[in-house]
This record gives sequence, C-alpha cells and structure tokens, in this order.
Amino acid sequence: VAVTGLGCVSAAGANLTQCLETLFKTGCLPGPPSRFCSDHPQVHPVFEVPDAWLPDDTDGSDGLLRTSRLALAAAAQALADAGWTAKGLHRLKVGVCLGTTVGSSLNNEPFYRQYRIGQHPDMSAIKAYLINSPAAVLARGYGLAGPCQTVVNACSSGTDAIGLAAEWLRSGVCDVVLAGGADELSRVAYNGFISLMITDTQPARPFDRARKGLNLGEGAAVLVLESEAIRHHRGQRARAFVLGYGAACDAYHLTAPSPTGEGLRRALTEAIANSGKSFADLAFINAHGTATPDNDRVETRVLGELTPQVPFLSTKGATGHALGAAGAIEAAFTIGCLEMGQVPASIGFCVSDDGALVQPLAQPRAFTKTMAASQSLAFGGNNAVLILGKGEVG
Amino acid sequence: MRVQIQGIGCVGAFGCGRNDLAQALARGGSPVQMVPVGPGTNGAGMPALLADTAPLSNFLPPRSLRRIDHFSRMALLGAYLALDDAKMNDLDRSRLGVIIATGYGATQSTFRFLDSSMDHGDICASPIHFSNSVHNSAAAHLSILLHATGPSLTISQFEMSVATALLCAMQWLKEERVDAVLVGGVDECGPVLAYCYQQFFGKPNALVQPFCFSEQTAVAGEGAAFMLLTRHDQSAAPLGLIDTVTLSHLCAGPPDLSNDVWLVLGADGQRCCGEHYAKAASSSTPAAAFAPVWGSLPVGQAFDILAAALMLQRGFDFAPYLNAKEGPADPTVDALCAKPIVCLKCGSHGEYGRVKLVGRF
Repeated sequence: VAVTGLGCVSAAGANLTQCLETLFKTGCLPGPPSRFCSDHPQVHPVFEVPDAWLPDDTDGSDGLLRTSRLALAAAAQALADAGWTAKGLHRLKVGVCLGTTVGSSLNNEPFYRQYRIGQHPDMSAIKAYLINSPAAVLARGYGLAGPCQTVVNACSSGTDAIGLAAEWLRSGVCDVVLAGGADELSRVAYNGFISLMITDTQPARPFDRARKGLNLGEGAAVLVLESEAIRHHRGQRARAFVLGYGAACDAYHLTAPSPTGEGLRRALTEAIANSGKSFADLAFINAHGTATPDNDRVETRVLGELTPQVPFLSTKGATGHALGAAGAIEAAFTIGCLEMGQVPASIGFCVSDDGALVQPLAQPRAFTKTMAASQSLAFGGNNAVLILGKGEVG
Repeated sequence: MRVQIQGIGCVGAFGCGRNDLAQALARGGSPVQMVPVGPGTNGAGMPALLADTAPLSNFLPPRSLRRIDHFSRMALLGAYLALDDAKMNDLDRSRLGVIIATGYGATQSTFRFLDSSMDHGDICASPIHFSNSVHNSAAAHLSILLHATGPSLTISQFEMSVATALLCAMQWLKEERVDAVLVGGVDECGPVLAYCYQQFFGKPNALVQPFCFSEQTAVAGEGAAFMLLTRHDQSAAPLGLIDTVTLSHLCAGPPDLSNDVWLVLGADGQRCCGEHYAKAASSSTPAAAFAPVWGSLPVGQAFDILAAALMLQRGFDFAPYLNAKEGPADPTVDALCAKPIVCLKCGSHGEYGRVKLVGRF
C-alpha cells in the first residue's frame, strides 16, 4: 500500500522536515506544562507543541479541541504533500482511520468539578466532546464519505490505525485513506501517568540504564494511503509503502508488558511475514522506547533475540510520548529516515542495562537497505508493528 | 467474504444471554430503573435501562474481578456468554482476536479518577481508576482473562463504532490474521450521562418509541452485546452470516435498502437521527426497531445484530416492533428465512453503518 503524502506536527517540529532536523541536529528538551497546573510537588516535564503551529483558532467559534486541531494540521500537510484537494477526493471512496486516547475521553474537568458540587454546568463541554472525535473531524472537514474510525488502543493506536487502514485499501473498501493519530497533552493524562509512577522528572532517557520513566508529549501525524490504481492514474510518486502489519496481545497485565515480550515477538514476526520479507532486510527499527524501566527492558530483550543485527532507536527523547499519536508520528519519522538513508542516534541514551543483549544507536548511522520497522507497545498488553518500505525516488 | 456468527452473548436491562434477550424481544421491552442525576437535583432521577453483571460469577471467581469496573464486567459477561453459546471448546486462543466497540468508554471510572484527584489532590489520583478509565481496558481484561493473545482492538466512533468494529473483524478473518474474533459493543449509563440527558432533552421518557421519528423519546440504556465470528466453512449457520458491512455518509447517497430485505432500524428515540430513519422506513421494506429492550446507547447496533441473528435462527417472532405506529405486521417464518436482514444505524451527522445478515440453514 503506497504512502503518497505525509504530515506531522510534534514538539520536535511543525512539519516532518523540521522534526527530522531536530532528531538529527538540534535535539529538543521538555519543559513544565504551560497550559495546565498541577499540585504535584515535583514537575514532570512534557513536550508541548507551540500554539503557532496549529490552525488558527482566533475566536474558537468552530468548537474544535486541541487534538482535532493537531489532526487537521497534520492532515492538511499530508494532503498537500500528496497533491490532493478536498474537491478531488469527493468522487472517491475515502476513509479516515485515526488513533487517539485523550481525543476520545469524556473527562472535562471544569464541567465535572461544577457537576459534582451541584452547580449545573452548561453543556458546552459535552457538545464539544461530541463533535471532536478526531476521525470524524477530518471526515467532516474534507467532506469524506468513506469509513471513519477512531482507534483507541492506548499507546499503539497510531500504529494500529495505519495498519488497519492499509487493510481497507488492500481489500478495496477504500480508494484513499487518511491514517494516523493525534493526541494533546491533558491534565488528566498527566495525573494518570504520574499515578502509575512511570513518568520522569528529568528529560526521558529511553533505553538508558538510568531511565526513570517517560515524558508525555503531544502531536499528530497523518499519512495519505492510496490504492495503486488511483496512484497510477494520477501519476503520483509513492513516498513509501506499508509493507506489513502485525498485532498481538500479551494477555498478561493491564499496565505492564509481559516480561518475556511474547506479544511483541508475535507482532514483529507477523508483521515481517505479512511483508514477505525477512528481519535481515530491515535497515533499522524505530522502537517504542518510552524510557519506562519495564517497556525498554522488554523491547531490548525481544530485539536482542529476534533482530540482534538490526540497529534500533527511540525518538521519544525528542517528542515525548504522544500516546495515541505516537505510533503515527514514529511511522512518519521512519519514512523520513528511509528517504534520507540515515537514522539518528537514540536521544537520551548513554549506557545500556547490565546484561542487555543489544543497545540502541548511540550515533547517527547511514544505511542502504530499503525497509524499516516502527513498533508500539501499549497499555493493556497491545503490541503493534508496521513494516515500511522506501518509496520511489522523486 | 461472509463470516459466520458462531455464538452470541449479551447483558442489558432484559437480563443476560440468548434466552433472556429473546424473551424480552417477544415481550416488547425491559424494566426501567431510575438513575440519580447527581448533586443539586433533590434526589430526582432519570429513567434508564440498566444491566446487572451478577451472573458473571458463573464464569469467574470474585477474586479475579476485584479491580474490574462495571464497564469491563459487562464486556466480560457478554463475551463469556458468547463463547459459551458457541460451544467451540477447541478454539485456539492464540488465534482469537478481540474487538470492542464503545461510544463513550468507561465513563464511570473516568469520573471516579477525577473524584480521586479532586477530593484529595492530584498526588492522590487513583492509578486503579485511571487504568480502568482507559478506553481499551475492557479489551485488555478480556484478553487477559480469556488468554486471548491474538490482536486486540478498541474502537470509539459513537453510533458507528459497531459497524467499524465488524468491518475490522471481517478484514482480520479474510486476511487470516485470526481464526475467530470476539467482537462486541459496550456502553454504560451513570449519573453524569443521566444529567446530560436531563440537560439536553428535559422531561424524561419512560419508554423508547423508536418509530416516533420526530420526537425525542430516548431512554438511556447500557449493556454489552457480543458475537463470536469465524470464517464461513459452508456448514449450517443457525445464527446466520454477516454478508457485508458498509460505512458511508448520506452525502454520497442513501444506503442500499432494496426491497428484498428485512430492515432492523437502530432508531432509539434520538430525534437528531430520526429523519434518516424515517426515510429508510418509508420504503416498502418491512422495518423493525428493538431499542425498547436495551434503551438508547451508541452501540445499540450490536444488540440489533444479535436480535437479527435470533430472527434468523427462530423465524420472526418479534412482531410488536414492526412499523409500530401502523400496528404489528404478520410476517411468516418462511418469508423471513428467504430474506436477508439489514441492520441500519444512523449517526447524527448523516453517517450510517449498514450490516447485512443472511441465513443459511
């Protein structure tokens, strides 16, 4: 399945080019949350997207929430990149498949605070919730009439959304799909992750021995996936290909990955089998790499056992963990690296765990292979892996 | 590719399981209870159709349910009943996928999580309530307790959640990612939802009148409706086959409702969708709507599909719902068996999900 357009916004940059520049050159540091307060005694830094990178919201009259704006920003970039106009899409079966977590949560704190003390809050917060399903926002915004689906698989949502969208194209359900993920920083998620004791009070250090947890982030990425028939008819270049997708559940614990990594192993194996290639063909693996002790230990173990020769990295040291958007942002980064023929160092990594079978990239590396994997592990034991192939040279 | 419904399981105000559902469908409704609307409302409540998950103890020891909320318990009960109904004891759990559709997710755990930080400060926010509030918590509990290690997916697209979930289930089966998929819809009703109903709709209703398309007659409901799906192996399929799932928008044209089908409308008393159902029901296609049995909830289409499966299995014996304003029709079993059933769910913005079931005996 061809990827003909890419859009991406994260704390690392307003578009994919800027994000890649940050990954390779400048880096990016988290800071205290600026849009909400918390009474935690210590600040847990986050990666915020500047408001200036989002579509204009001067009067707020459209009722769109931040997650929707992030999705719209990424979608506009992706469609422009693919050479599509909204009008051009109207005659086709165009679906939307987006992952999110915060974007589907009915958890407006001001509303609930008023409600629980009997102050009869007005319904504006609920109305906003009802019109801000991220996939529906894109479908409405571009007048799309195909399947519209918001995947809420926690931290693997973005990866799953792209994999599922590719299935829609392979089976002929759609001609074109806007696929990806979007999520905003929220106070509720911030408190929730701190309550789970998996956040760091310092910049996250994925795969590093001293890692203490994740930094939350926000952002969105949208890929335009397109059937070969439509793409050839338009004469449109493929920037990349979705070659394989695998997903499996640990069925082990609600919030912790299986220590054996069995689910991840199965998802990786399924994805590579689905692509018809082998692990030896992978140029690199964009790992989930949240910087939580458990996640990174499991990923290191599985990658060490399955793909010991394949370089891997985490990009969350430059974006934070953008939850339902993370998998999509990382898929976009993976494609960007395939186009560049080089992969950055794993930001935040210095020293590996004792006894680790493999360690992430400590320096950028060039490569000549033409495919890579992007993987996500999630709350609930979900594991999802995409195999992405380099596109046609433009 | 058609997929076969091997078993169904459900819980709602009607009780739980295939027989309770069939009896309630034949009876024409379910008991209505009152849900408190919340502080500052002088004890007034809103009518709602609520689910009791006590029968879950037939499948799981209480110890394993200690930290599992009502939302996930409904999902577990529906799923266990569907597996039990399918009697596929040799099912390979490593090839079993789980897909849950939900309109609003585990809202009560979400609000309990907010309570925990609002009551005692952010530092006391409850990790257990947070874990249960995540949208895919029910799918995770299901996978863990069933040892289902195939793919696990949760979808939240309001009224379209069930149709999109079925579309994915069919894709997984077609691509042979799995041998079976447990797919279901779950939504819950609590005081905040009751408050929303009160604020949005004013005077409460005690009975959903699905064919009063221009009136707001919705009564909030909750429950879970699951089915176990497999690829069709050409054997008899008493509960029918899912033939096609279509998701589209009225801006691209009306749904295909040819005259040779029976129609199960997802009409549930929500006036905002009423005009779309009115157009569908105005065709010569015989139409039924069953929302009085489980109430109004975004994943009502999952219950519609279970009802359609029972119609295929038993022959049509739920006549009270047929074009109710014009009085019950009198279809024959033979006539029904010869026709597919289309379950149509409309969203408030013109989107629709059309699921077509066919019998094979």
